[in-house]
Amino acid sequence: MSPLKIAARDAATGPVLHILGDLDYTTAHQLRAHLTALTLRRGQRLVLDLARLDFCDSSGITVLIAAHNQATAAHATLVLAAVPDNTLRILRIVGLDQLFPLYADTTAATST
Amino acid sequence: MCRADEHPEPREAGAGASTDAAFTALLEDSAEELYESAPCGYLSTLMDGTIAKINATLLDWLGLERETVVGRKRFADLLTVGGRLYHETHFAPLLQMQGEISGIALEMKTCGSDRLPVLVSSAVKHSSDGEPLLIRTTVFDASDRRAYEQELLHRKQDADEARRQAEEAREQAEADRSRLQEALAVLQQSLLPASLPAVPGVETAVYYHTASPDRLGGDFYDLFPLDGKRWAFFLGDVCGKGPQAAAVTSLTRYTLRTAALHDPDPVAALTTLNSVLHDRYTGGDPRYCTAIFGVLEPDPANDCVTVRLASGGHPPALVARSDGTAALLPTPGGFLVGALAHAHFASTTTELHPGDTLLLYTDGLTEARTGPDRTSLYGDDALLAFVTDHAGAPPEEMIQALAGLLRGLGDGVDDDTALLALGSPAHTSAHSPATSHLR
Repeated sequence: MSPLKIAARDAATGPVLHILGDLDYTTAHQLRAHLTALTLRRGQRLVLDLARLDFCDSSGITVLIAAHNQATAAHATLVLAAVPDNTLRILRIVGLDQLFPLYADTTAATST
Repeated sequence: MCRADEHPEPREAGAGASTDAAFTALLEDSAEELYESAPCGYLSTLMDGTIAKINATLLDWLGLERETVVGRKRFADLLTVGGRLYHETHFAPLLQMQGEISGIALEMKTCGSDRLPVLVSSAVKHSSDGEPLLIRTTVFDASDRRAYEQELLHRKQDADEARRQAEEAREQAEADRSRLQEALAVLQQSLLPASLPAVPGVETAVYYHTASPDRLGGDFYDLFPLDGKRWAFFLGDVCGKGPQAAAVTSLTRYTLRTAALHDPDPVAALTTLNSVLHDRYTGGDPRYCTAIFGVLEPDPANDCVTVRLASGGHPPALVARSDGTAALLPTPGGFLVGALAHAHFASTTTELHPGDTLLLYTDGLTEARTGPDRTSLYGDDALLAFVTDHAGAPPEEMIQALAGLLRGLGDGVDDDTALLALGSPAHTSAHSPATSHLR
């Protein structure tokens, strides 16, 4: 198990969060707190770059759904970039691959 | 052993004697003065305890006049009641037996009805023919020492009290903890059926693995009759753990039971649950579950059980066939239940023939961490291979095998795991009534 790290930056399209490590029951609250502090403007795109996400459990999925709800409420969009295979498999099982726009990487996700 | 007094050096003897005399003159007026004003009490008594002589120091301590004491009081009269008792039972007999006694702690009465703690030593003076003549006694003021002892005693009592309070707090905490555990266990049991009802023509088996006894798990399952011919079952996993997850589990269980009685269609039941959960938990704290809901319809005439099931974001069920094969029962595109206002649920149908077993499980098993560094997951493929290996086994045996597998994964299983197996019993011949399945 590895700790969770979150690196944030701003792209032209909106905030980009790089998620590193394990997103699980013990760490999910960190990302949740980070997202709560984030201000999204209408039309922005919130990119979660999961390239270095090692593990994501149901608590992690919950935060992704909360982020989606937050973005929708702000008339913004949540998109996922570079989703690792193991997480993509879970997203497919729970049907979220139909909900979140998925991009190969952040470059693709932030190109306007 | 220098016996200087017997063989003094002549030259020095005179000088030494005069020096001693000078010192004595300087320091003490007389032996009498030393006796009376010594920093300890002196007294001499007859053998019956009557005081014959007492020094001024002791009279001063006790606040007594010489004339009221000498010849009138006994030593024991100067003691407190407790001191007198001790004198009577221990001090006097010991002194009589040994001829001397030293350092005995007693208490003496003073004029202000105060007590003076003292240390007493006595010795019997004998005549030349060995007859006891009188008792010489010295008395030391032990107030400071007693105060010190009292202080020690108080500190010890304080420490004992603190220890007792800590112990009490610990016991209380332990009692609270065990009450909480009990409450958690009762709650946990309310989330799961105590036992599964018998379904004619169907064998069932369940297993629930609790990853942590302190955290209420979010896995659930149930099996219950819909009408005379059909039974509904479900198994699922509420996101998260703890009391909040348990509340969702409870809501989920009773919503699905109620929904199934109104409309037993699996997709309808999940859709109802989706609406209930989504309405109840909206916004920044979404609560949802994954679930498979199904309906069993045994068909005794055709010797099979029809299963219709729908999945909401749950890992696909597995079917192990009597011919030794096993396959996933995919329901692609089924959404998490409760996460979105409008969710899509996929359904599928299968038939269980004799010796076939349907297995539902939660991802505690497939997401169990394996490998030396616990970084790999057990995975869907491994589970399919395991079930294939046990294809043909009746539900109970299948569940036992999987329970053994979970135990083998040890603390790699960091989430609760629920297993539910439903099977159509294999035909048994008259010669082997137990089971046709040999392994």
